[in-house]
Amino acid sequence: MTKKYQTEAPGYTMTTVMEEAARCLLCHDAPCSQACPAHTDPAKFIRSVRFRNIKGAAETIRENNALGAICARVCPTEKYCELACSRSGIDVPIDIGGIQRYVTDFEQAADMHILKKGNSNGMNVAIIGSGPSGLQAAVTLLEKGYGVDLYERQAKAGGYLTYGIPEYRLPSNIVDYEIKRITDMGANIHLNTTIGEDITMDQLKADNDAVIVAIGASESKVLPMFENNDAVETAVSFLARTKDAQGNIDLPKDAIVIGGGDVAMDVVTTLKKLGVKHVTDAAYEEFDEFRASKKELAGAEAEGVTILDGYIPDSIDGHTVTFKHRHMNSKLTIEADKIILAIGQTVNANNLGIRLEHGESPSAGYKTRDEKVFITGDIAQGDKTVVYAVQKGKEVADEIDSILGGNHND
Amino acid sequence: MINKDLSIDFMGVHFENPFCLSSSPVGNCYDMCAKAFDEGWGGIVFKTIGPEHFKVDEVSPRFDELTKEGTPFVGFKNMEQIAEHPLDENLADLKKLKQNYPDKVVIASIMGTNEEDWVELARLVEEAGADMIEMNLSCPQMTSHEMGSDVGTNPKLVQKYCEAVKRGSSLPMMAKMTPNITDMVPAAKAALAGGADGIATINTVKSISNVDLEKKTALPIVNGKSSVSGFSGKAVKPIALRFIQQLRVAAGLEQLPISGIGGIETWEDAVEFILMGSTTLQVTTSVMQYGYRIVEDMKNGLMHYMEEQGVDHLADLVGLANKNIVPAEDLDRNYKVYPEIDWDKCIGCGRCFISCYDGAHQAISWDDKIRRPTIDTSKCVGCHLCALVCPVGAIHPGKIVMKPGREGDPEKVDVVSQRLH
Ligand SMILES: Cc1cc2nc3c(=O)[nH]c(=O)nc-3n(C[C@H](O)[C@H](O)[C@H](O)COP(=O)(O)OP(=O)(O)OC[C@H]3O[C@@H](n4cnc5c(N)ncnc54)[C@H](O)[C@@H]3O)c2cc1C
Ligand SMILES: Cc1cc2nc3c(=O)[nH]c(=O)nc-3n(C[C@H](O)[C@H](O)[C@H](O)COP(=O)(O)O)c2cc1C
Ligand code: SF4
Ligand code: SF4
Ligand code: SF4
Repeated sequence: MTKKYQTEAPGYTMTTVMEEAARCLLCHDAPCSQACPAHTDPAKFIRSVRFRNIKGAAETIRENNALGAICARVCPTEKYCELACSRSGIDVPIDIGGIQRYVTDFEQAADMHILKKGNSNGMNVAIIGSGPSGLQAAVTLLEKGYGVDLYERQAKAGGYLTYGIPEYRLPSNIVDYEIKRITDMGANIHLNTTIGEDITMDQLKADNDAVIVAIGASESKVLPMFENNDAVETAVSFLARTKDAQGNIDLPKDAIVIGGGDVAMDVVTTLKKLGVKHVTDAAYEEFDEFRASKKELAGAEAEGVTILDGYIPDSIDGHTVTFKHRHMNSKLTIEADKIILAIGQTVNANNLGIRLEHGESPSAGYKTRDEKVFITGDIAQGDKTVVYAVQKGKEVADEIDSILGGNHND
Repeated sequence: MINKDLSIDFMGVHFENPFCLSSSPVGNCYDMCAKAFDEGWGGIVFKTIGPEHFKVDEVSPRFDELTKEGTPFVGFKNMEQIAEHPLDENLADLKKLKQNYPDKVVIASIMGTNEEDWVELARLVEEAGADMIEMNLSCPQMTSHEMGSDVGTNPKLVQKYCEAVKRGSSLPMMAKMTPNITDMVPAAKAALAGGADGIATINTVKSISNVDLEKKTALPIVNGKSSVSGFSGKAVKPIALRFIQQLRVAAGLEQLPISGIGGIETWEDAVEFILMGSTTLQVTTSVMQYGYRIVEDMKNGLMHYMEEQGVDHLADLVGLANKNIVPAEDLDRNYKVYPEIDWDKCIGCGRCFISCYDGAHQAISWDDKIRRPTIDTSKCVGCHLCALVCPVGAIHPGKIVMKPGREGDPEKVDVVSQRLH
């Protein structure tokens, strides 16, 4: 069953992408482009596709979004560009993500090298964390002529792109390819290196002109009642080891997943695709307040997952969890081989000397109390998605550049 | 973003890129032209300017479109004549454009009713600062038979009026030719004999695009009636390319400077016109449909094409396809190429089967259990209709065989198109 887990849904061909692009109304002052948090400018790249200039489309995407092939696959477009799309006035929005995927696949097949390193300005920036925000910040800085060193605690770069989002939604080879373009540009990535343990923050500050903390929220939350129980695993741990092993893991007979966001949907869908017969999800929210995107919820339902909405765990005894409904007078007891917690992620900023409240910076923007240290990505204020991480990565790089005054490559 | 030099010289004038608006409502006043230059066009042929005494009186509405299935603007029909604005206003606009856009090329399109008009108009537009003149000898819907395509199909008048323009001005001049003619070469030669430096073509093709079934007249309906008038847009591209090719291979015209017009919308269209011998390109209908912004993808796509081809000077591409278009009797008829069906790509629609039976040679057999086509090479003539109708591109050129008794090496036969489908 690993094949199902490893296989991405098929993409467009030249013929079908033209059909989809032909549905685009080529709007004036296009609402889709205004709604893209990373300014990837869908109206412009769709127009290029429409006029058969696929290479030009790739340039538009890539110059605005160093992770364009990834965003094409994982962006919650229904909340951003596709929500704004004028075509909804006729029927359904343009499949912007699908067109973007076609273009970035073409870019890869044609081996285009669109991003270019700027002339060196002699300055160097250290980035802690190689998730999407750190990667994008690296690209923007490299374009401006900075040297960049990324420090990553894990054995592979990519943050949740590598250790979170499942293979069937985001193939590892796509992530590897996107990262390779960035190392080809000149970024140095130091793997298996935890800042605050292997290298101190003071050392980084001394060696660099600026330091960006892009550590994301890379650990799972655990409720006290689930601690020290062998049947329990966190979603982040489960998804990371599953992707690392390409789905070749020991499978439980059955599983309960707790949580109602996209991460929970990824866990249940992964379990089902791998062949676990009985998978039940218990979500705090009821369906009319559900947090997971429609796409992800539909994906889970298509795999036949049972979802109990409005239930919270009340007690646990070994493999048996008792839930109670938030509003109805109802209790449910379920026993399962495995219990997976997808109730949110937390930040571990040990020894980094930055101040966070509820997992993010207490103030807007990217500055910290230390004028040499900046933050970005999920720990900065704003949406916690890949496309926001990209935009925040660009913005923190721009801010550093405006402070260090090195922007002669603009 | 790629950046390559697209500049090219045409009739002694330097263009920063070959993309021009053709004479029509898309370049009808100063503000429009300024916007087009700002968005990246290299030159503009201003809307045709007529003599003071010719009063333009337009109909309303004045356009129609040909559609096919879901595609609008397959072709476009218009009933418009020449500039509606007064002569002095047009001249003032030309002057201001040249002042504010000295590096762009401003081309004045003119049309007279007699020799004196042509001399005078030529003089006036030169005085206004135009870089070039285009003679409109080709509008098919003028209300005067002294003007438009009635003149352009008469080589004697063409030569006489070209001479008149050359008397009025020393600017480089191109004559804009009509496609409503069997052979354009005599008219083009007459223009050159009259002093023209080059040819612009095509203007619109005389047409009736659609007929209203209730009112029993053509579209657009002008108070119950309609007229034959000019057709443009994508549907006329093949006609334009054909005329340009035939000009460039006529004896004595091999180096003829041509400004290519007719259905240009994408960079690929542009390259086609260049390979067929056009040095500059002119566009109207696709601008009317989509706006000036289409030039961005035309320029960018052309740069990528030059990069792929390893070409640094656009001029090196001009006319490269001319030699490969030969008379039908000179084509290699010694072989046939069988189609090959990729069953992995095939989705079992059966369209190839229907078309081969009803429109070709009954050479496809259909297995209705597995819903897959098979080609019977004993009947197949290698026409490749099947490949054109297949919706998923599952059919492509396969085995090549020499016809019985013919010489040749099938390995060396070249039939594969690189065009992206
Ligand atoms: C399962 C899952 C699915 C998701 N699906 C989507 C989706 O479909 N679409 C979407 O838009 N978003 C999705 N998200 C959210 C998205 O992944 C995050 O918003 C995004 O990854 C945040 O990027 P980041 O760069 O801030 O941090 P992260 O991606 O979290 O990367 C942080 C990196 O920093 C490293 N690090 C941490 N501390 C240190 C240290 N001290 N020293 C060195 N390295 C350190 C970590 O190992 C990690 O690699 C998903 C999240 C999860 C968990
Ligand atoms: C509405 C309309 C008005 C036109 N007016 C003129 C004109 O005044 N002078 C002229 O030389 N050609 C005129 N043309 C012809 C165009 O310049 C051009 O030769 C023709 O439309 C083919 O190019 P296209 O397919 O890009 O539109 C007109 C075309 C259209 C559609
Ligand atoms: S809003 Fe929709 S229809 Fe309009 S340009 Fe964007 S994708 Fe096309
Ligand atoms: S090439 Fe022509 S004759 Fe042969 S199978 Fe196709 S349609 Fe039929
Ligand atoms: S037209 Fe193409 S897809 Fe349809 S049956 Fe023939 S080969 Fe298959």
